[in-house]
Amino acid sequence: MEFDFSPVITYFPTLIKGIGATLLIGLVVAIMSIIGGQIVAVISLYTRKVVNWPLRFFIWLFMTTPLLLQLYFLYFGLGQWILIPAIVVGVLGLGFHYMAYNADIFIATIKSVSSGQYEASRSLGFGHYATIFYIIIPQAFYRAIPQLGNNMIIMVKDISVLSAIGIAELVYLSQYAISVTFRPFEFYITIAVVYYLINVLMEAGQSWVERRAAIRK
Amino acid sequence: MTQTAETPMVELKGVKKRFGNLEVLKGIDLKVDRGKIISIIGPSGSGKSTLLRSVNNLEVIDEGTIMLDGVQVNRPDLKGLAFERHINHIRQNMGMVFQHFNLFPHLSTLENVTLAPRKLKGVDARSARELGMELLHRVGLADKASAYPSSLSGGQKQRVAIARALAMRPKVMLFDEATSALDPELVEEVNQVMKSLAEEHMTMLIVTHEMAFARDVSDWAMFMDGGVVVEENTPERLFTNPDQERTCHFLRKHLASQA
Repeated sequence: MEFDFSPVITYFPTLIKGIGATLLIGLVVAIMSIIGGQIVAVISLYTRKVVNWPLRFFIWLFMTTPLLLQLYFLYFGLGQWILIPAIVVGVLGLGFHYMAYNADIFIATIKSVSSGQYEASRSLGFGHYATIFYIIIPQAFYRAIPQLGNNMIIMVKDISVLSAIGIAELVYLSQYAISVTFRPFEFYITIAVVYYLINVLMEAGQSWVERRAAIRK
Repeated sequence: MTQTAETPMVELKGVKKRFGNLEVLKGIDLKVDRGKIISIIGPSGSGKSTLLRSVNNLEVIDEGTIMLDGVQVNRPDLKGLAFERHINHIRQNMGMVFQHFNLFPHLSTLENVTLAPRKLKGVDARSARELGMELLHRVGLADKASAYPSSLSGGQKQRVAIARALAMRPKVMLFDEATSALDPELVEEVNQVMKSLAEEHMTMLIVTHEMAFARDVSDWAMFMDGGVVVEENTPERLFTNPDQERTCHFLRKHLASQA
């Protein structure tokens, strides 16, 4: 067996573009799914059935079907009537998918904040909603950090699924490079290393955040 | 309603409370004059904690009236948002201290104290900080201002909780077994803070298991059992020479368990 990594070096600028796209999509999806997940969790816990039932259905729908199917549905399925740009479908699809998972975590951590916290806040004169905003949600957020971090690490790897609808992220661009250079082995190894490094960095970031959050629990 | 010097700070009349079929408060009358300290003792399940929690509506009573400084606390006539607004305003005048402290773990000690004045009274950050530091100093924890609750001992947590309640400048302080969850060696530091409040004539309603402390600081003591006030008297009298057999029995049992 012979290895030839020179095509990888030649196409490295392409791969860098892919890494950049993956990280940018990851950032947008992370922000969207964390903030959105928090909102979905709060609404589904603290409102009447007419409002929260559709949200629970939304969570259930996105958690029980595969991401790839969701993307196909949004892009090709809805594409029968309305053509949404792939990047919009990709970011929204992945965003909703992880919004559902994050909402599920927030629902659990909100429920885990003791009733004593609620009572202490109310006894000071805070109203029901002010208590949720100032006391319950921040604590639920700190408690959710470890699982949120895990979700976001999985999410970054799932960005590769977006190549199925033609988004030029890391895996998609390497497919292109492979089709030109016929060196799949070398490219896949390289990409695997890139993902590994992204993972290591994210895990380091996660444990840094977790350490800082630990004193606030 | 007019507030004269004679208006009691807290007044309960015929307060009844049921949990399902269980009647936990069977018609309680109670009066706390301003600057006075009343202790409520009694076995667990006697209704004393429920009574205290009823005063600021953490438990909603079924019958009777509760007055704070001439203003009715429970308002069965007010519904929804109107009641919410009413009770939030009332609660700003009452400080509550819980058995399990319930400090906000995501906020520093100073932020725990200043959150309510800042958000509810619109006190600016600088004045809130001054107020917070003054109160932390009072409870002997100025050096812990930037610490988080998770790094404090139980006694320190409870002292911060007292400072937090005082930050709203309440008219009355309610203590719900404030030292029951503490290790014995930490009880004294919390008692000291409560004593200093007593010396400043803070009106206080105290539910406690600390008989010696209750006798020491109270102007009036009540013994509750089975949802009724069995006996009330000056602490000297109630603790040393009670009229009722049940009071006698409880105190004897309690002293035996503490010995």
